[in-house]
Amino acid sequence: MEIRLSSVFLAAALLSGCGWFHRGEKPPTQVAAEEPQGEPSIVEPQVNRRVVKTPKIKAKDFELGGYFGALSIQDFGTNPVYGVRAAYHVSEDIFLEGFLGRSRAGISSLEDVFPNITVVSDTGRRFTYYDLDVGYNVLPGEIFLGRGRAFNSALYVTVGMGDVKFADKDQFALNFGMGERLLITDWLAMHLDVRDHVFETALTGRTKNVHNIEATLGLTVFY
Amino acid sequence: MRRLLALLLLQAFGVGLVHAKEQLIEVVVAEPYLEMHSGPGRGFPVVYVVGRDEIVTVLYSRTDWFKVRAPRGQEGWARRSDLALTKLTSGEPAPIPPYPDFATHRWELGAGYGVFNHQNLVTAWGDFGLTDSLDVELVLQQALGTIDNRYIASLGMRHTFIPEWRWFSPTAGLGTGYQYIDDKVPPKPLQTGNQLAYVSLGARGFITRRFMWRADWRKYVVFTNRNQNEEPEEWKFGLAVFF
Repeated sequence: MEIRLSSVFLAAALLSGCGWFHRGEKPPTQVAAEEPQGEPSIVEPQVNRRVVKTPKIKAKDFELGGYFGALSIQDFGTNPVYGVRAAYHVSEDIFLEGFLGRSRAGISSLEDVFPNITVVSDTGRRFTYYDLDVGYNVLPGEIFLGRGRAFNSALYVTVGMGDVKFADKDQFALNFGMGERLLITDWLAMHLDVRDHVFETALTGRTKNVHNIEATLGLTVFY
Repeated sequence: MRRLLALLLLQAFGVGLVHAKEQLIEVVVAEPYLEMHSGPGRGFPVVYVVGRDEIVTVLYSRTDWFKVRAPRGQEGWARRSDLALTKLTSGEPAPIPPYPDFATHRWELGAGYGVFNHQNLVTAWGDFGLTDSLDVELVLQQALGTIDNRYIASLGMRHTFIPEWRWFSPTAGLGTGYQYIDDKVPPKPLQTGNQLAYVSLGARGFITRRFMWRADWRKYVVFTNRNQNEEPEEWKFGLAVFF
């Protein structure tokens, strides 16, 4: 009985030893050795170390919002455009921005002159694009409204590339833009943008680069 | 629609309330003074100055600037380097986070331009560093050609040979992925979806603060059910932000 009991204890001790070994810590025998041997102190100090957690400073480098405006699709008239935009501000000068927009083309001048001709099908008139841009704040400053109010602002330029889906086809498009960001408050901004989407197409006969210029007004939130 | 608007407004206010309850850091000005600018940029004028031993509350940051509130309620923007010289009320240095170290950064997000098999390529990637020299990369790309469009998603491992070289450090990678072909001109492709594998050689470098560049050349093997596999090539260049 005694042998069995001791073997059980031995197994338990071995197992716990293995456990300590696995955790990479010292075996508990050393903890026992650290117990005070001398006279016990009169007052046992019962001080818990206070864990002081310093709160983090929130970074508000992201900008998210929407925009609305007019897009001039070359050969297809000027039409309303709307979309969403998101930006990340890397430094006070540089930012990375993404756009996702949609519009609908009107009747081309060719279709106006010859009503029997259809250049683009009805579903193909949808003009959808996305852009990935790099932006640079060229002229940061303040805009004054009367005597008592000043708004922070910046004139920026953007360059990038993306995809334009028009006439049921995806085309690689380059994108050049210029805009003005006006901060109504520190977290709410108004944007006035002019952007050109350039891509190659052969829709109206010969292959050529088409310029599709849009002017938009947007609102974004910094968070 | 009106309900949705009300809900959105409520959400916005809700967020505002949570922010109001948030604990903010208070720092003591240790230098002779701390300048507060009217905006988060080098050109904005100094509108208020806080003296030594006065306490300012740090509200939030935008790029290299920190919005702070002076003891009497005035708010303005303090430069990172100025705020780093302040102290906590306990006497410890202010916890102004330093820039992530380029050699040991963990996360990376980027986008760029490339050429895939003579087609224009738009690429975007996310990257997680398992160690300083070994990364897992997830890449989403769209190749825009005259005959078809390809959407390629790939997942792979990349080794950076000498991560401590800041301006130029060569890399090599290996991975697998999937491509979807959306044809523009008939006839339809025999297979619209294929699995693929790739090897890559490239380089990366530091630009400024948390900004970097990356260039990559890839050789793919696209597995087809025909007798021959496709072996397209690709090169690309992009800019990324690291955290």
